[in-house]
Amino acid sequence: MSEGGSGKWVVGSGNGQGRVQGMTTLPASTPRRVRRPSNLLPMLAVAVFAALIYWPVMLFANQGAAQKALDSGADLGCKTALACATQLRNPVIPAPGQFWVGMRSLSAQPFSATAAPYNALVTGGETLLGLGLAVVVGLALATLLVRSRSFERATLPWLVASQTVPVVALAPMLAVLLGQAGVQGFLPKALIAAYIAFFPVTIGMAQGLRSPDPLQRDLMQTYRASGPQTFLLLQLPASLPYLFTSLKVAATAALVGSIVAEISTISFSGLGKMLAENSRASDTVALWVIMVYGAALGIALVALIGLLERAVTRWRPVA
Amino acid sequence: MSLERPVPRLAGAWGALGLSGLGLAGLSLLLARQEAPAQLGPAQPGLWLVGITALLLLGAVGIRQSAQGEGHPARTVPAAATLILLVLAAEAALRAYAVPTGLIPTPSKVLEALWAARTVLWRDALTTFVYEALLGFVIGTLLGLGLALLSVRLRFLERGLLPYAALLSSVPIVALAPVVIKAVGLGVASKTIIVAVTVLFPVLINAVRGLHSAQSMHLDLMHSYAASAAQTFRDVRWPSALPFVFTALRVAAPLSLINAIVAEFFGTEGRGLGFRIQIEVGKFGLDVVWAAIVVASVLGISFYLVISLIERRILPGRR
Amino acid sequence: MTHSLLPTSHSPPHSGPPIVSVRDLGMIFPVPGGQTVALQDANLEIMPGEFISLIGPSGCGKTTLLRLMADLISPTSGQLTVNGGTPRQAREARSYGYVFQAPALMEWRNVLGNVRLPLDVMNTPKDSRAARAREMLRLVGLEKFERSYPWQLSGGMQQRVSIARALAPGPALLFMDEPFGALDEITRENLNLELLRLWRETGKTVVFVTHSISEAVFLSSRVVVMTARPGKIEGIVNIDLPQPRGEESREDPRFFQYATEIRELLRRGHE
Ligand SMILES: Nc1ncnc2c1ncn2[C@@H]1O[C@H](COP(=O)(O)OP(=O)(O)OP(=O)(O)O)[C@@H](O)[C@H]1O
Ligand SMILES: [Mg+2]
Repeated sequence: MSEGGSGKWVVGSGNGQGRVQGMTTLPASTPRRVRRPSNLLPMLAVAVFAALIYWPVMLFANQGAAQKALDSGADLGCKTALACATQLRNPVIPAPGQFWVGMRSLSAQPFSATAAPYNALVTGGETLLGLGLAVVVGLALATLLVRSRSFERATLPWLVASQTVPVVALAPMLAVLLGQAGVQGFLPKALIAAYIAFFPVTIGMAQGLRSPDPLQRDLMQTYRASGPQTFLLLQLPASLPYLFTSLKVAATAALVGSIVAEISTISFSGLGKMLAENSRASDTVALWVIMVYGAALGIALVALIGLLERAVTRWRPVA
Repeated sequence: MSLERPVPRLAGAWGALGLSGLGLAGLSLLLARQEAPAQLGPAQPGLWLVGITALLLLGAVGIRQSAQGEGHPARTVPAAATLILLVLAAEAALRAYAVPTGLIPTPSKVLEALWAARTVLWRDALTTFVYEALLGFVIGTLLGLGLALLSVRLRFLERGLLPYAALLSSVPIVALAPVVIKAVGLGVASKTIIVAVTVLFPVLINAVRGLHSAQSMHLDLMHSYAASAAQTFRDVRWPSALPFVFTALRVAAPLSLINAIVAEFFGTEGRGLGFRIQIEVGKFGLDVVWAAIVVASVLGISFYLVISLIERRILPGRR
Repeated sequence: MTHSLLPTSHSPPHSGPPIVSVRDLGMIFPVPGGQTVALQDANLEIMPGEFISLIGPSGCGKTTLLRLMADLISPTSGQLTVNGGTPRQAREARSYGYVFQAPALMEWRNVLGNVRLPLDVMNTPKDSRAARAREMLRLVGLEKFERSYPWQLSGGMQQRVSIARALAPGPALLFMDEPFGALDEITRENLNLELLRLWRETGKTVVFVTHSISEAVFLSSRVVVMTARPGKIEGIVNIDLPQPRGEESREDPRFFQYATEIRELLRRGHE
């Protein structure tokens, strides 16, 4: 995935932008590069550099806390603050060894209720379900937007504006409301994820449904194609690249939504629940482990959508 | 744009819109007297709802008619009318059902809360928007641009760094926030850093793409003038990168505010819009929550518009 | 509406009622702050089996005239009949094929799929579609590329696919808008020969837009010369070169005569 998540920020420069010009971006269309040298070596170098920097930063960050602990007479099994910086029970930044131990203990039995992998799967499932719902709603709304100019004029400014509304801020409230309405378990989080994801999907789909060029429409007209035929044979396939581009944007946002929803509801599983618990318990190492899992989950979701994109839009050149 | 037909149609549109708006406002006023939910029989709210729906349908007809044609009103009236009518309808419906403010506040209650809590909200907005979102946005942008320039000069860095940037841009900030807050502290600085990090990646990725987007024909042209590297940069590379950078900035602007709010969910020193939302949800003070969301939305949209305005100033002749 | 490609003897033109009849046709486009007269008082009768070329400077209304005949736009004045009825009826009867100025291929269909598109839309028997599409691809010399996607083809190859696509349903009437504009001279001449052969063997009526005088003379039974601002028909030149034509026709002294005559008409329009 050398292009990976970056695809979602790509913009066609200037031309070719449809009438729906919101904040979404256009999919990259033409093949640009043919063959590049492998990025492996430079990437490794950057990783090594980051690891080398990490060590002194960690020592520096933990030193103060270690000094305080020593001053209060705690027995850490070490003499100086510098030596104790890797031994703190609750470090500011965990030492690699500590992180490793935390990682092992949270991942040892991957499918137990307290293990990070299991909870990441739960959160990922909620997000995917939410994305699925978002696609259904987004497709319906986008079709309306493209079909009816009055509908577009009445709602589009607000659809665009809604992308600037902190929809996640609604998540805690929605969670409470849905709880009151008796919606429980998996569903409220998926609904919140869907609620966050359907805006970008709608805008992207509308842009995509409009993307066929006028000659292609004329062509369908010379065949006396019916409305549904034009939709199925021309507009829908043309919109797929746009759908996936917006889905990649939506995926990260939806993931944030489901995690925030997990924090705000009485949740029994999910990364959000783990975050809330460990935040309360001030278990820094666990927070780091969860961060890594959250990051991996975000990357995996975008990669999954990328794979799906490749499978569905086979006609496009491999970047 | 002929003048014969639209005049009567426009008059009809205004009539329908006015009637619908006045009707909904009237309903709300009527319902204002019936404060206690107990006095409402089960049949009555249903009846009210029928009235509200009918008035909304009338409004929809008006919106449809006002959206005809290409004039300035046809572009602005439908959107404005939609918002106003929906807010009025929400007001009437919530009053008809006597929904408690602790569950869903009426728009008028939100307005009241906006006024009553104005000093608190002002201070919160200042913290979240200026010190966290704006500052983080500026730092992230500068860092992103700097790294992009470096990357383009040093291919090795680009090949080593950019794949990580692409990966990290799909990391959910909720995973990052607790860790940063643990390390940096509950103050404003931790949120500024989180916002800066989330702005950094899209700016970096898009700037690098933009810097590479210069057409080879233009580069050849500069080459034929024996232009220096600096001249080529100033006259070709930078101008062709700008549209890409601005796209990233336009997306990042409202996102920086949203991310500041979400980051506040994980701990503050008792200030900020996110803190306010979280605290008030816990107290079922949903009118204040909505007021905070309104403030955040207005700020987010303004931020977006300001960036778009700057873009249009700097990039004349586009769109 | 499936016309076979079986060879039929080429019947001489000018028999029976006209297949396209243009009378005092006008087309005015509203543009910001005024209007463009794209076509004014056009008169033209096209007989079944004719090969008509439209030639004229850029912006003189060639595409507009073609789009009017194809019912993609409606005229602002005058009468137009196609196939004895309105253009609309002709379109709804799917009685013509249209090759656009650009290929307009669907990038998600491979070459075979693109040629099959009209057959899919028109619901022809499923089992014969692929065979028919392959036949058309052979005609334009692209049978080896049936699995390629549009972005893997050159501009000229894409245009050939779009010609195969227009031919696939076997229309009796063919509108072609600068179909060979993007091709190199040799490919162009080869395709000219192919098109002539197809026309001869199937008795199709072709309305063909081109910027090349020699192409117009070589292909056509009549050449319609148009001028711009406002778009008008300046004159019509009968090309009485013997059929079947081949490379040797280009050496015919009359060939040069006709070319000169057309050039004179075009010059006149420029003054
Ligand atoms: N949809 C339209 N709206 C406004 N003006 C149009 C439209 N279509 C064509 N025109 C105008 O009508 C005139 C004729 O256009 P047309 O496309 O028919 O030219 P053409 O002869 O095909 O030119 P070319 O050889 O460049 O293809 C031009 O001046 C053009 O600007
Ligand atoms: Mg043309």
